[in-house]
Amino acid sequence: MTHPARAQCRVMNHLLHARCHGFRLALAAVAHVLVFAVAPLFSDDVQELADKIDRRIEARWQKDGITPASIADSAEFLRRVSLHVAGSIPTVSDARQFLRNESYNHRRQLVDELLESPHYIVNFSNFWTRVMMPESATDVQALAQRPGFQAWLRQHLGNNTRYDAIVYELLTTPLAGDRGMNSIMQNPGSVSPIAFFTTKQIKPENLAAATSRMFMGIRIECAQCHNHPYDSWKQEQFWGYAAFFAGIERTNQNDGGLGQVKEVFDRRELTIPDHETVVQATYLDGTQPQWRSKVSSRRTLADWMTSKQNPYFAKSAVNRLWGHFFGVGIVEPIDDFGGSNKPSHPELLNELAADFAAHDFDLKYLIRGIAASKTYQRSSRKTHVSQTEPQQFARMAVQGLTGEQLFDSIAAAVGHLESFQQFQPFQFNQPGPRTEFLELFAPDNNSPTERQTSILQALALMNGQFTASATSLEQSSTLTAVAEFPSMSSGDRVEAIYLAALTRRPRPEELERLTKYVDSGGPSKNQKQALSDIFWALLNSSEFLFNH
Amino acid sequence: MSRRSMISRRDLLKLSACGAFGASMSRWLPVLANEIGASPDRRRSVILLWMTGGPPQTDTFDMKPGHENGGQFKPIDTSVPGIQICEHLPRVAKLMQHCAPIRSMSTKEGDHTRATYLLRTGNLPQGPIDYPTLGSLFSKELGQEDSDLPNFVAVAPYTQFSPAAYGPGFLGPKFAPLIVGDPNRVGTNSNGANYDQSLAVKNLSLPQGINLERADARLSLLGDLESDFASHRPGLNADSHQSAYAAAVRMMRSEAVKAFHLEGEDAKLRDAYGRNQFGQACLLARRLVERGVPFVEVSLNGVNNNQAFAWDTHAQNFNSVKSLLEVLDPAWATLMSDLKDRGLLDSTLIVWMGEFGRTPKINQQTGRDHFPNAWSTVLCGGGIKGGQVVGKTSSDGMKVDDRPVSVQDLFATMCKAVGLDSMKQNVSNVGRPIRLAEPTAKPIAEILG
Repeated sequence: MTHPARAQCRVMNHLLHARCHGFRLALAAVAHVLVFAVAPLFSDDVQELADKIDRRIEARWQKDGITPASIADSAEFLRRVSLHVAGSIPTVSDARQFLRNESYNHRRQLVDELLESPHYIVNFSNFWTRVMMPESATDVQALAQRPGFQAWLRQHLGNNTRYDAIVYELLTTPLAGDRGMNSIMQNPGSVSPIAFFTTKQIKPENLAAATSRMFMGIRIECAQCHNHPYDSWKQEQFWGYAAFFAGIERTNQNDGGLGQVKEVFDRRELTIPDHETVVQATYLDGTQPQWRSKVSSRRTLADWMTSKQNPYFAKSAVNRLWGHFFGVGIVEPIDDFGGSNKPSHPELLNELAADFAAHDFDLKYLIRGIAASKTYQRSSRKTHVSQTEPQQFARMAVQGLTGEQLFDSIAAAVGHLESFQQFQPFQFNQPGPRTEFLELFAPDNNSPTERQTSILQALALMNGQFTASATSLEQSSTLTAVAEFPSMSSGDRVEAIYLAALTRRPRPEELERLTKYVDSGGPSKNQKQALSDIFWALLNSSEFLFNH
Repeated sequence: MSRRSMISRRDLLKLSACGAFGASMSRWLPVLANEIGASPDRRRSVILLWMTGGPPQTDTFDMKPGHENGGQFKPIDTSVPGIQICEHLPRVAKLMQHCAPIRSMSTKEGDHTRATYLLRTGNLPQGPIDYPTLGSLFSKELGQEDSDLPNFVAVAPYTQFSPAAYGPGFLGPKFAPLIVGDPNRVGTNSNGANYDQSLAVKNLSLPQGINLERADARLSLLGDLESDFASHRPGLNADSHQSAYAAAVRMMRSEAVKAFHLEGEDAKLRDAYGRNQFGQACLLARRLVERGVPFVEVSLNGVNNNQAFAWDTHAQNFNSVKSLLEVLDPAWATLMSDLKDRGLLDSTLIVWMGEFGRTPKINQQTGRDHFPNAWSTVLCGGGIKGGQVVGKTSSDGMKVDDRPVSVQDLFATMCKAVGLDSMKQNVSNVGRPIRLAEPTAKPIAEILG
């Protein structure tokens, strides 16, 4: 498919999937009529977004006397964007192919291809699971509920469902009755976002804290018990917001279990626990909902939350994705827009949010725009003292990988094909290497630019079974192929394992030094084992273990 | 500029200043083991004996003889007149002068996951704050950056119901425990006969077929890559990678790692601890503390390692508890006397606790259920004036009658006992400072030496 055709198709897609819930489906009906009229206007909206980013970022550099890093070369860009979008480094053959072709729009094409690959769906279902169900990283009961939730996310990501529609469905999913908790408890793997509620124990206060933080960057949970010491949130505001979930009732609870769920759909008030005070459901901006008959409280909340008029909604999502790509948000911490956390580039944040909303919260559009910006394409290599402040984005930040990204990248480097295997939540007792890895390398909640390595992680990477087989001449596909292939020079072999692990060719001085090492055979006086030593060092290196 | 980034920069300076790593391979070389044994200015250590699942106070340290809630066990006298404990803890009873049972723990959480988090971090799981577990919190304060052994070792932590309660939380992986005897998976764990192997550190030895010379060559290749990366892409990530690798290599090659080689111990002493995983793990704890490790925790999950949650005695309470106490008593008592013989008991705080107690009322399966309202923990050894009981419960054991102790009070007491200022702050992942214990916490002054 040619590029313009693909762009047109994208616009159509974009409109067809504009909304998937309820009354908004009507839009789809007019989509055909609109496509041709609208297409030219959208023809290079991605580049426009990229330009907006660069304009704001560069204006600040100029003002603050900052010299940015140069634009990353193809290899650096390929590795980085593959990890960010598809969750893994590219294979050697993908790398060779990409590095051969330096045509115009090459990088844009790559991003389009990554976004259409199943890896995008898996990587971002992991991403949104970390956002929406952080409990599943640490709580075994939440972990058991993850498959159905991730299946739900994957379905939407595969369809490129708009972000507002995903959140809308999440907030309004039925809890009681046939499609609710009962069916999920009987079929834990069935496609449903209901685990979002169960992992919050279906309590109004937990749901209030989670939804405001995740979807609006507002942390009001401290106001649950007392007026907030730093921010301006008051206890009544917290409970007023929680009151949108007040209709959810749990019955037959026993010993920590969740019991049965009933829902009084139009309940709009709750009593603050241990207080006499009854509060009415009130939006966080202080306005009272326009209640409509037969529209539930949760739906009334979701209408407001996902509306284009809610300034927090788009900003919070934009900042989160920005943080995913740059390691640091425009607002930091990524999900805390409160009090003292001022955005580093307020105008840019507003523009990105407005643009995201104007494009009907199209996640792929936002990703395309960010990835096309020169700011994203800066090298991580520091070339000037002025490149230290992370929120100036003058060079790409070095970022930690998640356990999934690390495992899949090792698998890609080593040539394992089964990296795609489904995660098996119930197999506690027979962990595959992937499960062990995910446990050992579960990311802490620190920012990816501040990822710390533990001694156990270091020991596992240096001496563990997984690295041992990755660097074993018998078990590693990549290494065996490189070591056994007859007509290659030592230099070619070194280059091949560099491409496999680091997605780049060795620099001349590296090539010279390592060719000598291979020719000498290293301590074992064996050229193949010397190659395995180099591969071991590459897989243990910061350059491999981080995205940069 | 966020508060968090400022802290990171400070951490970064500290990391570079300790010079754990550099381009030169000589830095990888082993550092000689610290001199073993007590010195007058030695820092204090903590050994946490963690009773996974919640032990019954009424069958251990808060007996209710004569009441129907008292159950089947009899109380016995201890070395301290007036204090009685369970008949199945005879050896601990003889060392009561070192122990201070707290009979008035009063918490509000009866769910395993949440209570485990509460007792091990001092807080209920709450929004986005990842509170660190006790071991991370204390070892950060008590440990040294460049020690040969990790500052926090956890033996057999059964983490499945509440993994976050066992991790370093916002302090980061640098303060994560070194885990040995991981009980969460069958296969990595041993049965009773195989405890030596199960107490070994995973991945500590070189991969098969790689000798020391080749390992050095590999590390040297890695050193080149690292110095190149760190010079062009400086930052916390690369520095932390280097310091973790340096620490791992230091440990692999240190003399101190012999702490894990239990076969060197006197056979009679090993017998005294009990030839089972918990007993030998207590011996390991002593060997680690002796080599300066500031925090060791040992979990008692069951009497044989096929059991994981044996203290959770909803049914057949008395059979299970008796067999657990028969493992606990010799191990704990020998740990105290062994530390004392080596002059280490005064500088080592031992904490015995689980996530909650169990219902005084015995249920229809002769079991006891979850009970956070009024239960017991025990502090002994370093910094504790033993031989006294804190608090009192009602004659049926259903409520605290005197001196309720909260989790935060307990944390503050532990801080004091090892000479830490409980008002010390760490910056959390949400940017707010969190103290070791809340300012409102009241340390139990009467048992602090």
